[in-house]
Amino acid sequence: MNDDLQKRIQQAMADPKNLGEMADADSVGTVGNSDCGEMLRMWVKFREDGGRKIIDKASFQSFGCETAIAVASLATELIRGKTAEEALALKTEELAGELGPLPPMKIHCAQLVEGALRSALAPQTAPAPVSAPKSAPTLLDSISNLAASGGKITFLDETSA
Amino acid sequence: MSVTITGQSLMSEVLAAYPGAQRALFRKYHIGGCASCGFQPTETLAGVCGRNGNLNVAEVLAHIQSSHEQDEKILIGAKELAQWRQSDASVRLVDVRSREEFEAVRIEGSVLLSQPVMQQIMAEGANTRPLVVVDHKGKHGLDAAAYFMGHGLQNVRCLRGGIDAWSQEVDATVRRYKLG
Repeated sequence: MNDDLQKRIQQAMADPKNLGEMADADSVGTVGNSDCGEMLRMWVKFREDGGRKIIDKASFQSFGCETAIAVASLATELIRGKTAEEALALKTEELAGELGPLPPMKIHCAQLVEGALRSALAPQTAPAPVSAPKSAPTLLDSISNLAASGGKITFLDETSA
Repeated sequence: MSVTITGQSLMSEVLAAYPGAQRALFRKYHIGGCASCGFQPTETLAGVCGRNGNLNVAEVLAHIQSSHEQDEKILIGAKELAQWRQSDASVRLVDVRSREEFEAVRIEGSVLLSQPVMQQIMAEGANTRPLVVVDHKGKHGLDAAAYFMGHGLQNVRCLRGGIDAWSQEVDATVRRYKLG
């Protein structure tokens, strides 16, 4: 990743906008790539404006890499004042806004945001969660498998007796 | 630390020295999160950096070490936790071990992390209520702590040394054990 992009991501991360749950949201969308340990949820609130139903505010919650959080932060700002149709028409690279073009390895972070947005605004068109072939243990595995990763329990006071 | 980590270190060695390295790599570089961007324990750190956009190995290593230092701040000692619980009844202990381990030995008042417990914690949303993650020996709890922090919980800690340290430092009636 180039230094400029890293700086822009860090700037977005330093003051993320619209982070957190929205209690009075009209719509909620969730997208997750379980293999990536990555989940993103987005809340949207609408309002009427001159006969149009536009996005009044949007917020998000994420666990994952800085890029996904930075893109979500920018995207929730970008879609304010737009109708659902206008927001859905935004391309993945447009959602990343001032972050600029993302390198190939980071594009799916932005796609995650796009997926959450689609899930919130048009659930019927939201893409199915991506599931890559399994090879190495993943982040989510390391958390969710903790509860299943036991083994035979031997008390130390029995072995030393 | 007995092993000096360099670019030629195997990822298994990197993870042994810095248990939160996978999380740190994922957060900043999106490496190691999934099967498509993951790495193998037998790869070297330099190798992983090389096939991920030729990342600067020294910079990546510095990031891992910096994250490790941050992880250290999340940890809370057993004695300190015992005192905290006495002064603040709202402190909740979430045990991330297996059900078998939890049923064999547990810290009084702790709850096993199950799906319902996870859903309940998530449903509460962002908050400052203290939550302490308990594992066996303090090797895995940080990942769970980071997960909760990533979901907006602002007062998450992890018991340093896990329940094994609690047995040794606070309550000897909690029997020590090994797995295998």
